[in-house]
Amino acid sequence: MNIANIVLCGLGGQGILFMTRVLAMAAMDKGLNVMGAETHGMAQRGGSVISHLRLGEVRGSLVQTGTAHLLLALEENEGYRNIPFLAKNGKMFVNTNSLHFPRQEVRAFLDKREILYRAVSAGAIALKLGAPRSPNLALLGFFSALNEEPLSHAELRQTVDKISPKKFKGINLKVFEAGYDKGKAG
Amino acid sequence: MNRQEILLGNGAIALGLVESGCQVVASYPGTPSSEILPEVVRFVKSEGLNTYVEWSTNEKVALDIAFSASITGKRAACCMKQVGLNVAADSLMSAAYLGTVGGLVIIACDDPGPHSSQTEQDTRFMARLAKVPVLDPSNPQEAREMVGLAMDISEEFRIPVILRPAIRVCHARQNISFGSIKQNNLKASFEKNPLRWAATPRFRLVLHRELNNKLKEIGDRFEKLTKFNFHNLEPGKSYPLGIIAGGVPYAVIHDILSEESRTDIPVLKISAPYPFPEGLAAEFMTACDRVLVIEETDTVIEYMLRNKEKVLGRLSGHVPPEGELVPYVIYDLVNKTLGELKLEQLNKKTDDQAKELVETLELPVRRPTLCPGCPHRASFFAIRKARPKAIFTSDIGCYTLGLNLGAVDTCLDMGAAITMAAGFYHSFAQDEIQQPIVATIGDSTFFHSGTAGLLNTVYNGARFILVILDNLTTAMTGMQPTPALGIRADGSEGTAITLERIVAGCGVDFIEVVDPYDIKKMTSVIKKATAFMSGPEGGVAVIIARHPCVIAYPEEAIPEKKKVKITDDCTECNFCLERFECPALFHDPELGHTNINREICVDCGLCIEICPKGAIVDA
Ligand code: SF4
Ligand code: SF4
Repeated sequence: MNIANIVLCGLGGQGILFMTRVLAMAAMDKGLNVMGAETHGMAQRGGSVISHLRLGEVRGSLVQTGTAHLLLALEENEGYRNIPFLAKNGKMFVNTNSLHFPRQEVRAFLDKREILYRAVSAGAIALKLGAPRSPNLALLGFFSALNEEPLSHAELRQTVDKISPKKFKGINLKVFEAGYDKGKAG
Repeated sequence: MNRQEILLGNGAIALGLVESGCQVVASYPGTPSSEILPEVVRFVKSEGLNTYVEWSTNEKVALDIAFSASITGKRAACCMKQVGLNVAADSLMSAAYLGTVGGLVIIACDDPGPHSSQTEQDTRFMARLAKVPVLDPSNPQEAREMVGLAMDISEEFRIPVILRPAIRVCHARQNISFGSIKQNNLKASFEKNPLRWAATPRFRLVLHRELNNKLKEIGDRFEKLTKFNFHNLEPGKSYPLGIIAGGVPYAVIHDILSEESRTDIPVLKISAPYPFPEGLAAEFMTACDRVLVIEETDTVIEYMLRNKEKVLGRLSGHVPPEGELVPYVIYDLVNKTLGELKLEQLNKKTDDQAKELVETLELPVRRPTLCPGCPHRASFFAIRKARPKAIFTSDIGCYTLGLNLGAVDTCLDMGAAITMAAGFYHSFAQDEIQQPIVATIGDSTFFHSGTAGLLNTVYNGARFILVILDNLTTAMTGMQPTPALGIRADGSEGTAITLERIVAGCGVDFIEVVDPYDIKKMTSVIKKATAFMSGPEGGVAVIIARHPCVIAYPEEAIPEKKKVKITDDCTECNFCLERFECPALFHDPELGHTNINREICVDCGLCIEICPKGAIVDA
């Protein structure tokens, strides 16, 4: 693998920073170089939030438009907003309850670019397990069921286990695994 | 393998500080600088160092603390956001003349964008104004190395040095290998020399000459600072176009050119731009027919280049004069310039189809809002209710978002809620108009620069209501303690200073403390304050609206959880959505009226109070 460009997005307070940390730590433990960019400050108060993560030999922390291999969106509209980052053949995983994902106009575009897209109600999974603030882990688990690259399910699981604060370790893993099961179930 | 950690740029800077033997670090929080000091504290604890750290009450204080440490021979640093350096400018300008003893590094973090600031100002200009060297890192690892270099230069030449990481360095994350960290045991000693340390104007001229000489020498050093100022010209070759870049844009341009294997475009990196490496720049300019200058956020390098006919940049319209230079902006501008010069363009032409698609989707604009359960929302609601016709002056913090609620009309700089309220008062009073004015300021901002304005208000007789929104923390920048808590930066116990005492000390006669979660009470206190203020003996009335921040103190903030629900009495008047704007309330087309998003509702129950139809109830 050369460089992997990942964009994570959603709304402030949805746990994007934690999701980014899991991916970044897992990559470092695998021996990859990690460079990323985060949103702090004013926008964290419920505004559009975006994290960039680049694995491999790079200097800059921001992903160039048209070059992201992976887009993880905790909110549907934020996912659409960040489509310009996706490369041809990229992949998009979105947390949404909508049965109509993706919107028609978007579907045509994604198909044309051969971008793979999958939706999961990560919010509902987390809420059902009593962790309404953890759709991030459900989405990550879901993603890990369908991808080995750049990081595998086992590698991500280990990192969730390692970096979750003690108090939340059990529930975090449970939500992560529930997302994984959902992905495996198709 | 060495210990490795993924650090924020601010963490890498903190690591650079402890590695360089820095013994005193003072800071005032402000995005994007806020995480530096907490990371220093983390390393100090994990390595068992005896570094002194403090959250200072403002940036000028922080710089003075670090400066004094430096002239006792110790290595010291202060950290702040770029506009914080404006507050500390008085100190900076003078410190440049006086010089240092131990290394003194001033870390001022820029915010091109701006993402979380009132300006996009370029701290490299501030360095030129003050006549102190400045370093401009491209990524976290480089920032860490530059801290050490800055300390060395400062100590060798006895001059303060500025490190200006931009937000994309501060809030970048990178895996960083740790080296050895040693305790610096240098003891403080102060050699009296009033001629220097208390210099009168006559001796300041001598100091200015001394400073100019230092800069000349450092300039020579920056010519050969090959780690941070270098180019990749091949000897004897000439080029139709070269690029000059520093800081974050250098990292971006480096990635673009290496990804496209464009070895035909040489790059001069200038990450130590002042004193300017004239010789190096001239050498580069000679080999290139044209040079494109890409720097954030202003024209520091561009102004310094001599042969202006060759220069393409902001002044020639090739680089946008405002806004962040994110990769696609740089990609586009390089491509356009290549096209204009009839040179081979970049490979993967950026295409705008995706962007155009997104535009047609008409996605909702997500503006930042106060959190669900935020006590400021209740305060603002009560303020607007009690004083609907007022001018609302406000200040810098989460509560600036009160502008969504129509309860914030102005935001100038730290502390201006109070001074602008006074300015408004006198301007209207002069015309014999009794203009209602309500000022809002956060607790931390009040400590930072509220007292001078409040003293002035009392002294000069301005009349308005000042609401201090006291959420017992510095929320916006990541929950740093305020002086009122009596907790110091390292977690140790300090002396708590109450707002009430300060306000009383400023000579204010009306002070009431109220919990804004009780919206009715809050409204009635504002009315009482209004009566006092307008009375014959009246003056400024201060209300301290005290309730803990829901993020910093989730338990204490909502002692009594209320599971609210919205009944069919809801007429979709949208009053709650517009005037209260809790992000958990939304219009639900399936339900046919307003609904509550359980994923983010924190059960504060505040909305029960405000629905005019009584449709929001405790279920
Ligand atoms: S809940 Fe109350 S305030 Fe909100 S839209 Fe319905 S009736 Fe109006
Ligand atoms: S109870 Fe009402 S005001 Fe409080 S968070 Fe929930 S919806 Fe918002």
